Amino acid sequence: MIVQVSADLTGTVWKIMVNIGDQVAEGDALAIMESMKMEIPVMAPEAGEVVEIPVQEGDVVQEGTPVVRLKV
Amino acid sequence: MPFENNQAEHLQRIRKAQAMGGPEKLDLLHREGRLNARERVTYLVDAETFHETGLFATSIRPEMRDKTPADGKVAGFAQINGRPIGLIANDFTVLGASSSAVNSKKVHHVKEIATRKGMPLVFLGESTGARMPDVMGAAGMGQSQNPTQYRRTRESPWASAVLGFAFGSAAWYACMSDFTVMRKGSVMAVSSPRLVAMATKERIDPEELGGWRLHSQVTGLVDMVVDTDEEALDAIKAFLSYLPSHQNEIPPKHPVPANADQAVGGILDILPENRQQVYDVRKIIQAVVDPGSVFELKSRYGRTIVTALARIDGRVVGIVANNPLVKGGAIDANGAAKATEFLVLCDSFNMPIILFQDQPGFLVGLEAERQGMPGKVINWMNALSLCTVPKIAVILRKSYGQAFLNMGGGGNADELAAWWSAEISFMDPVAATVIVTGLIPAQDPQRFDQAFQSVQKETSPYESAAVYGVQDVIDPRDTRDYLKTMLNVHDLRLTDGVGQHYLSAWPTSF
Repeated sequence: MIVQVSADLTGTVWKIMVNIGDQVAEGDALAIMESMKMEIPVMAPEAGEVVEIPVQEGDVVQEGTPVVRLKV
Repeated sequence: MPFENNQAEHLQRIRKAQAMGGPEKLDLLHREGRLNARERVTYLVDAETFHETGLFATSIRPEMRDKTPADGKVAGFAQINGRPIGLIANDFTVLGASSSAVNSKKVHHVKEIATRKGMPLVFLGESTGARMPDVMGAAGMGQSQNPTQYRRTRESPWASAVLGFAFGSAAWYACMSDFTVMRKGSVMAVSSPRLVAMATKERIDPEELGGWRLHSQVTGLVDMVVDTDEEALDAIKAFLSYLPSHQNEIPPKHPVPANADQAVGGILDILPENRQQVYDVRKIIQAVVDPGSVFELKSRYGRTIVTALARIDGRVVGIVANNPLVKGGAIDANGAAKATEFLVLCDSFNMPIILFQDQPGFLVGLEAERQGMPGKVINWMNALSLCTVPKIAVILRKSYGQAFLNMGGGGNADELAAWWSAEISFMDPVAATVIVTGLIPAQDPQRFDQAFQSVQKETSPYESAAVYGVQDVIDPRDTRDYLKTMLNVHDLRLTDGVGQHYLSAWPTSF
C-alpha cells in the first residue's frame, strides 16, 4: 500500500533528503522544512520505498501537503 | 475408586470447556501465527498461578450450552512477576467471544474483585460485540441492569490488548484502559465493517475503519502497536511493572542499573547551540533517566509531546516533554490531549511528573481552532492543577506563552528549574519584535535586529531567577542529580507517597 507523508506545518521545503527508489526506515528524515525560523524534518512514519516526491526544494507548502509517497 | 463417576464426569467437563471452539478454529489461529485465548493467558502470567473462574459457564440458552465452552470468555486470577492480577481473555473461537448474559456476569465478577481488592485488571480483547440473537428485542435489551458496567474510577490499573476484531465491549474496555496495545492486523471499531457497510451502503476497508494506523496516529486510542500476540503480552507485562497494584500504594521500586549517572554527562552534545536547530527530546530523556527504563506511550500520536514512563534512581516517574523535532515543538491539539491523558494516569497511580519544556507556544491557526484547541489547552491546564503528585519542571530551551503554564511554569509545578540555555517569555522574540515594533525583518533588517536584541535579552533564565520565577538555573549536566534531589524533597511523606487522585474519574481520551 501507499503511505502519504505530508508536511506537518506550513513552510518552505529546504532540502529533500531522499531519491525515488530509496529504501527508508521508520523515523528517517525524508525532507527538511524551514518553518517558524526552524529546520524541521519530515520523517518516515514507517519503513518503505520512496515512490514519489511531489515537491521540489524551495516550494512553499501548506500543512497537509504530500511531500513524499512511500510504498510500504 | 470412591466417587468414580463424579471424578470422570468432572474431568470430562473440564476437557470440554478447555477445548474452546474446536480444533478447526484453533488451527486457523495457529496458521495465522496467532495464539488462542488460553495460550495467551499461559504466556502472560507466571507459571501455575492462573485460577480460572467460570470454566463451566455456558450460554444461557439451553440449545447453545454444548457449543459455548466457558461462554467465550476465559476469566480468572493470576500473578504477573509475583503480583496478583485479574484477567479476561476473549475466546474468539466461541461465537466470536460475543458478550452474553452469562459471560458478562463473569467479567463483572473479576472486575469487581480486582477493583475492591486492589489488583490490576487485564483484558485480552477480541470480540464481535453483543451476542445475537440473545440481545434482540425489547426483552433482550432489558436483561442487563448494571449501572456500573462502564464506570471507571481507577482504584486499580487496567491494561488491554487488542488482538483481532474488537467491536462493542472489546473496544469499550480497550478505550477505558490505562494502557492499550494493538497487534497489527487487528481492527477496533464501534461496529464491524460488515454492519457499517450495510448501514452506509459503502464498502469499507477494515484497516481504514479501525486499523493500527488509524488508532496509533489519528485517534490516539491505542498506546502502542506491535507485530505479534507475544509482543502485545510482553508490553502489558512491561506496563504493569511501572504501576502500583492499586491507587493506595506507590509504584514498585527497581534496582538502579550500573553506570546510571553516566549518560547525562554527554547531554550538551544532544542540545544544539543554534536555537533554529531542532533535536529529538527523547535523547535528552534517555540521558537523564535510568538506562533502559523508558516506556513511551502513544509514540505515533500527538508527537509534539512525548509521554513516557521511566525511572530515576529506581523510582517510577511520568515524563511529559515537548519535542522540537516535530513542528518545532509547537504543541498541537493531539499533543495537548495526549498530555492530559497522561496526567490522568500519573495522578491516579501516584507517579511523580517530570516536565521538560522546549516549546515556542501552542500551534495556532485554522486547523488548531477547528480541532477545539482552547478546550484542549484548558483541560490540560485544569488537569495539571488538580494533580497532587510531585511535579517538577525543567526548561531546556524555549518556553513561551500559555504553554509555559501548561508545562509547569508559573507555579504549576512544585519546582521549576531552567537550564542556562533557557529563554522564557510571553512570545517568541522574533514574533514579539514584529508585533511590538511593527518592523518586518526582510524590509528593515538593521533596525529589526536592534529591536530584536533588546526583546531577546529579557528572555534570559537569570531574569526569571532574579524574581524567583524559576527556583534554579542549572547546568544541563546536573539535571539527573537535580531531579533525584527534588524527587526526594517533594516526596509525599505524610501519605506514604499516595496522592489525592482528583483525576482518577477522568476519561482516558479527550
